[in-house]
This record gives sequence, C-alpha cells and structure tokens, in this order.
Amino acid sequence: MIKFHPNDQLIEKYAAGSLCTATSVAVATHVDMCSRCQQQVKDAEEIMARRVLQDIRTPRSANLEAMFEQIIESRPPKELKQEQVDPFISLEGKKFRLPSTLARQKHRIGHWSWVPGKMMKAHVDIGEQETLDLIYMAENSKVPEHTHRGQEITLVLNGVFNDEKNEYRDGDFVLLDKKHTHTPETQHEDCLTLASLDAPLYFTSGIARLLNPFSNLFFK
Amino acid sequence: MQVAQARNNGKQMKRSAIADSAKCSAEYLSGLLSKVALEQSRAAFSELFSYFAPRLLAYGTRQFGNEAIASDLVQETMTNVWHKAHLFKADKGSPTTWIFTIARNIRFDFLRKNKHRMNDLSADDLWPILAETNESFDDDVSLDQTVLLQEIQSYYAQLPDNQRIVIEKIYLEGKSQQEVSDALEIPLGTVKSRTRLALQKLKEMIVSHD
Ligand SMILES: [Zn+2]
Repeated sequence: MIKFHPNDQLIEKYAAGSLCTATSVAVATHVDMCSRCQQQVKDAEEIMARRVLQDIRTPRSANLEAMFEQIIESRPPKELKQEQVDPFISLEGKKFRLPSTLARQKHRIGHWSWVPGKMMKAHVDIGEQETLDLIYMAENSKVPEHTHRGQEITLVLNGVFNDEKNEYRDGDFVLLDKKHTHTPETQHEDCLTLASLDAPLYFTSGIARLLNPFSNLFFK
Repeated sequence: MQVAQARNNGKQMKRSAIADSAKCSAEYLSGLLSKVALEQSRAAFSELFSYFAPRLLAYGTRQFGNEAIASDLVQETMTNVWHKAHLFKADKGSPTTWIFTIARNIRFDFLRKNKHRMNDLSADDLWPILAETNESFDDDVSLDQTVLLQEIQSYYAQLPDNQRIVIEKIYLEGKSQQEVSDALEIPLGTVKSRTRLALQKLKEMIVSHD
C-alpha cells in the first residue's frame, strides 16, 4: 500500500499543467503507480475543464471565422505513435521495471555512475535546466545529512529506504523543502528512486521571453 | 455560424438559451465529436468550434495575458479536435475535459517552446492523449476462439455496412488500417473510429450473449 501521495495542491497543478517539468514527471510517475491518484487527477481535470472553459471571450482582433476555414483546410498534425518500450532496466545484476511514464522516456536516461555512500545515479535528460535523477541505493547505504535548497521530491520506484521519521516503499512520494533536514538510508534492502529538484520555469524563446518576469505566476 | 443565427431574433432568445444548455451537454458534444470522427462533418465541427473557440480564447488570454498567443492556442487545439476526434473516448471522460487537456498540453509546450532544444520533454510525453493506440480484442476481452467463430458471423451481420466492411478487411483480409484507408478512399482516422466502434459493438454483443 502506498502511504505517501502528492498533496491536493500538487495534483491540481499537475492536472493544470502548471508544474515545472521535473516535478511533472515525478508526479506522473507516481500516478502511474497509484490508482487513488489516477482518480484524483481525473477528477481534477474534469473540475478544472468545467471551470476554465466556462467564460467566453469574443476576440478583439483575431477572426474566428477565418480560423475555422483554416482549420478545415489544414493538413493533419503528425501522427503520434504510442511505442512499445521494454520497461526494464538492469542495475547491479538486478532488473527493475519502470512505470510507463519513465519507460517512455527511457532514452533520456544517461549513464550510471557511483556516488559516495554506496549509491548510483543516472541523470534523466528532460531538456530543461532542471534536475531529475534516478538514484539507486544499495543495501546499507547512507546519504550524509543534508538540507535542500529548493523543494525536493523523492519517489520510490522499487525497494525501501528510511529517514529519521518514516519508512518509504514502492510508490511513496516524499516531498521535502528547505525546512527539512534528513538522513536517508537503506537497511537490508536496496532501493531505486526518482528524485527531482524544483526550479521555476524559464521561458527561452521569442515572445514567450516576455513572460519571464512573471514566471512565478505560472508557477503558483 | 450557429451562434450568430440564434442572436438574430429577440423572441427566439429564450428558446435558444434552453437549446444552448442542451447543446453543451456531454452527450450532445460527444455526438458532434463522433460525427467529426466518422464523417468529417463540417457542420458538427462548426458547432464544436462555435462552442469551444471563444472559451479556449478566454482560457488562453487569461493564461498568457496576450490574445495573439491565446488565439494560436485556440487554433492548435481545435486543429487537433478536427483531425483527431477519433481519439476521443466517451467512456474515459467528457468532451469538455478532453478538449481542455489538449489545450493544457499545448499551453505546456508553448511555455517551453525553444527552437534550439528539440529534445525537451513535451506534454505528449507526460500526457499521451493524442497518441494513436492499437486496439484489438486481446486488449481487454479474452474470447473462446471456437465460440467466437461460430457466433461472430451473426454478430457481423448486425453491424452497419461501413463498419463491417472495415472490420472484414482488417480481420479477415489481414489488411493494415492504412491499406483499408487507401482501398476505400476514406481517411485513416475514419478507419480507426469505425474499427473502434465496430469492435465495441461486437464486444457488447458477445458479452451480453455470454
Ligand atoms: Zn497516490
């Protein structure tokens, strides 16, 4: 049983598409593993759809009738294929099954390298200036005590780890912010996690750059 | 467009308000989407467009604070509705939710659009709502092969002709959906939605005869 879920606010922002990319992947991966949150996201999307599509705006300049004709005449957008990907990765002679969101992004997973504390790490390249890593903790490994600069999410994909307060297992979604100090460790079992570090959105192209000063508004 | 016609006559206002509320029911909108999927019905799409475009424009303008970007969002969203209506599944949620999630995905990508970085993770990676899926019987119904063969002919006969022909070409002649689309000279999306509808009907018939 999953004990730790993203809170309502995170679920709602995820459904709205308002989380940064790394956090979105972490939430989406939890949702893959959690039927309770699948329902929550569905409900959130439904409520939001009704709410945000309630108001009507008559365009000042854009001509909707012309747009209608353009759409009718338009060529179909390129077809998106749902490719079948082998969801397994091998590490230290063990096989791990990736939840579907991560399995689809398997090509983004970089090389594994050892980090201090009997751990391995692989960067997931999501293209943004954001941190998303797969972290593997061997048995009896320990992360030195640390605090977090931003908001950090750790999602257990397989195995179990604990800190001073709790034990976290498959699917558990752990959110820590600046306030928290903790010492994650494993005991007799190893643990594969997905970890993301929160960062504000940064808009990089064309007219969207104008939005940068207001990026915190998109990040609410 | 429909909305404009309704405004012409003051006396009709009250009646059209009632008609409007019926027109935004999920069932009614689903019906329009399936007409777009099956027949490329311009009239059905026109109604969907009249209903959703001004709403999407309001959403986009609130989000971007800019009507030009907002209208790009409307155009891209409704273009997907026009070409990909066959991907809407009424049993998975309402048309309003489906169209909102398309717009949500497009907005997600708009906020990250950067021509120098083609590898950015996109909304389709997170929410593959517009990805084609391969549907078949074995997905969710396991059938006793012999029973199926005996009974299926009578079920087939109950399908509308246009669906039966598509199903026969795919499952009896082993043609791909693209080949059926070429052979019958109908759009691929139509082949897909006819296949889906037919399989759904067949499934219902088989389950209810179990
Ligand atoms: Zn959950």
